[in-house]
Amino acid sequence: MRRLFAGLRDDVRMVRQARDLHGQARTPRSALAHETVRGSSSFATGWARTPAARAARRAIQDGLLKPVTWTQVRPQIEGLDHLQRLSGPVVFVANHSSHLDAPLIIGSLPRRLSSRLAVGAAADYFFDTRWQAMVTALVFNAFPIVRRGHDRRRSLAPQLLAEGWNLLLFPEGTRSEDGWMSPPRIGPAHLCIQRQVPMVPVMLRGTYAAMPRTRNWPMPGQQRVIVRYGKPLHPAEGEGARALHQRMVQSMARLWAEDDLGWYGSLRAQARGELALPTGPLEPVGDGTPALVQPGSWRRVWAASRPLPARSKHLQVWRRGS
Amino acid sequence: MSRPGFVLEVDERTPALLMHEGEGFRLERLPLGSRVIYPPESLPGLRDVDEEIRRALAAPLGRPPLTELLVPGMRLTIVFDDLSLPLPPMRTPDIRQRVIEHVLELAAANGVDDVELIAGNALHRRMTPAELKRTVGERVFRSFFPHHLRNHDAEDRPNLTEIGRTKHGELVEINRRAAESDLIVYVNITLTAMSGGPKSVSVGLASYRSLKHHHNVHTLRHSRSFNDPPNSAMHHSYDRMAALLAEHVNIFQIETTVNNNLFPKQMDFLNKREWEWNLKDQAAFLAVRRANELVPPARRRQLWHRNAAPYGITSVTAGAPEEVHPVSLRHVLRQQLTEVNGPSDIGIWGLPYICPYNVNSIMNPILVMSLGLGYFFNLYRGQPIVRPGGVAIFYHPVRNEFQSVHHPSYIDFFEEVLAETTDPVAIETKFEEQFATDPWYIHLYRNSYAYHGVHPLYMWYWGAHALEHLGDVIFVGGDRKATARMGFRSASSLADALEMARERVGGSPTITYHHTPPLAMADVR
Repeated sequence: MRRLFAGLRDDVRMVRQARDLHGQARTPRSALAHETVRGSSSFATGWARTPAARAARRAIQDGLLKPVTWTQVRPQIEGLDHLQRLSGPVVFVANHSSHLDAPLIIGSLPRRLSSRLAVGAAADYFFDTRWQAMVTALVFNAFPIVRRGHDRRRSLAPQLLAEGWNLLLFPEGTRSEDGWMSPPRIGPAHLCIQRQVPMVPVMLRGTYAAMPRTRNWPMPGQQRVIVRYGKPLHPAEGEGARALHQRMVQSMARLWAEDDLGWYGSLRAQARGELALPTGPLEPVGDGTPALVQPGSWRRVWAASRPLPARSKHLQVWRRGS
Repeated sequence: MSRPGFVLEVDERTPALLMHEGEGFRLERLPLGSRVIYPPESLPGLRDVDEEIRRALAAPLGRPPLTELLVPGMRLTIVFDDLSLPLPPMRTPDIRQRVIEHVLELAAANGVDDVELIAGNALHRRMTPAELKRTVGERVFRSFFPHHLRNHDAEDRPNLTEIGRTKHGELVEINRRAAESDLIVYVNITLTAMSGGPKSVSVGLASYRSLKHHHNVHTLRHSRSFNDPPNSAMHHSYDRMAALLAEHVNIFQIETTVNNNLFPKQMDFLNKREWEWNLKDQAAFLAVRRANELVPPARRRQLWHRNAAPYGITSVTAGAPEEVHPVSLRHVLRQQLTEVNGPSDIGIWGLPYICPYNVNSIMNPILVMSLGLGYFFNLYRGQPIVRPGGVAIFYHPVRNEFQSVHHPSYIDFFEEVLAETTDPVAIETKFEEQFATDPWYIHLYRNSYAYHGVHPLYMWYWGAHALEHLGDVIFVGGDRKATARMGFRSASSLADALEMARERVGGSPTITYHHTPPLAMADVR
């Protein structure tokens, strides 16, 4: 019997290697071109927005999700004052580098917004098995987003906005590999233009260091994370999706820079057109101009996984939110 | 839409990969940078196989419709591939049954009374009545067994006919009933590029005197590979014999091809790429592997051999053999071919529980050798996946076990011949005649269920090309004595095997894992 259990333990260890909590392995790089589209948007999530499911979700989020998240990391929430006049529906767009991102946003939003919040989740990741899809839909009010293939245009998002739900979308499409942002997709901007709803950029910092992609639980030591809400971006008269998308990118870049330059400094840098999305650390090259550290370099992960300092080194003149 | 085959490069994201090892399997972590050859995903099977058979018989290639060839008073012989195909055996109804039933429907409608069915088993063991029934179906079995449904007997001298000699002096001698028939209908399953076509009648119904012209060390060493007919001396010989046969007998060939659905739904993980395993697949892997370890060995073997593959049929083609076979080959390669960029220092293969000669039987050490160094090593086009002088690493327990009814001459070959030499040429020169003509082996072949006396030597020749090409052969998990008897080495783990291979290929060798089954044929550029 001991031999049996020892063998089982070894087998489990072998099966678990290179797989996450959901038992999923990332596609090896050389197999990416041969990747199949897993899952689909066909999983019905309507039941997760019924009054009973909403009540259950509220209990889970308030009684479990937020307390656990808030005890494992030290969230610093900023910019909630921008949301005071919002009543919804609204689309929140955030950078995405950790499984902590959604719980932090859900836990930090005012009740009137979070109670009617639906989260876009990858169909091929969160909806590929029935039990996982059910848990995701119940806890996060998630709806499937098909990332590849013919179904990707058949999203539930416009319908949810029409029904008055707020949406949380991660326009990068997936969690960051190395903690830095990849170019956001234009889909959320199209959605906001189409439905004429405001978009709120959200920037999360420190979540990669607190719980990077390969971990199933936050790092020990209650690391500091920042959730910073930007000003709502209302689609202007005659504005196209590309222009709104550009405003979103600028806003996110500024929210990120606020930690390094301070609020006013980030505004000044934005005015000078010096800001860009945090796509990776920079290094000086031959002529002295900084260039991005190449993807795949260990220095990218190294820089991204450095915990945020315990306190901001910049004196905040106007401290926002709580 | 099935995805094409491809070569994976192992990176830090790659989970442990599945490795067959006899009546079991394991997960193995390969060194970073190793290449893994995956076959194309299983192709969709034909939706209406019966309709496809009807169409093939009504509009054959290079022959009139079959119904026009069937006339009252004629002698019709239907020959079919024996139990060595396909592997694993097919879930019933077997495609041979379905095709034969269609042929017999036409024969009955056209008033053909003189019909014989013969299993083309050459020097393989006879099929048991139960195996024959499983292959041709209950209805055919009931109508023809035992007098008109039988195994070919390659040692039944009065019932063999010399057709003639090819321009290379190769004797063509086949079953008399078939040779004297007005029409031979051959029903085939082309599982690999090696089988079918000119091989069907010239090998399936032949005698030892005829077979020895291509089943010899020289021919097999010049068949590179024997799964690539244009570059296979063995197939060149088949072609010459088939051309001679075509002058004397009328053959209507019906070839079928299958997809790569080898395992039932509950073992679907064996058909899938490991990083695409969902939780169900992982649980199934753990459950099957643990249960497999717990079951007593004899029962375990029984369970594995009970596996009937839910193949889909990808093509049915009928007509003149020379026109039918290229079509079948295209379908086979569409299912199995994967392009590979050059050979590597080390090739790795996980050997499964079954080969063509141990269906419902035991995979003895000689068969392990022929499966690894014969069949799997030769699953290439262009050049082997291992460079000359490189190292082959196989996963198999190589137990010193033999099925004494099926493989009596194998036991003597292992105990006596291999104790003296493992050199294929020396074996051929000194022992072939003795094993081929031994009256006791012949008696067992004809009256029991034994493979022909010469068969273990052929299995050894099957690996002659690999033995000449490779610098070393290592079996991970292999029985030390049994592997040593065959001139190979055994290692307890992959790390040990790689360490042992250092002396041949250095400390940082390139590695290619040929991920099969399902069958993958490497097109090495």
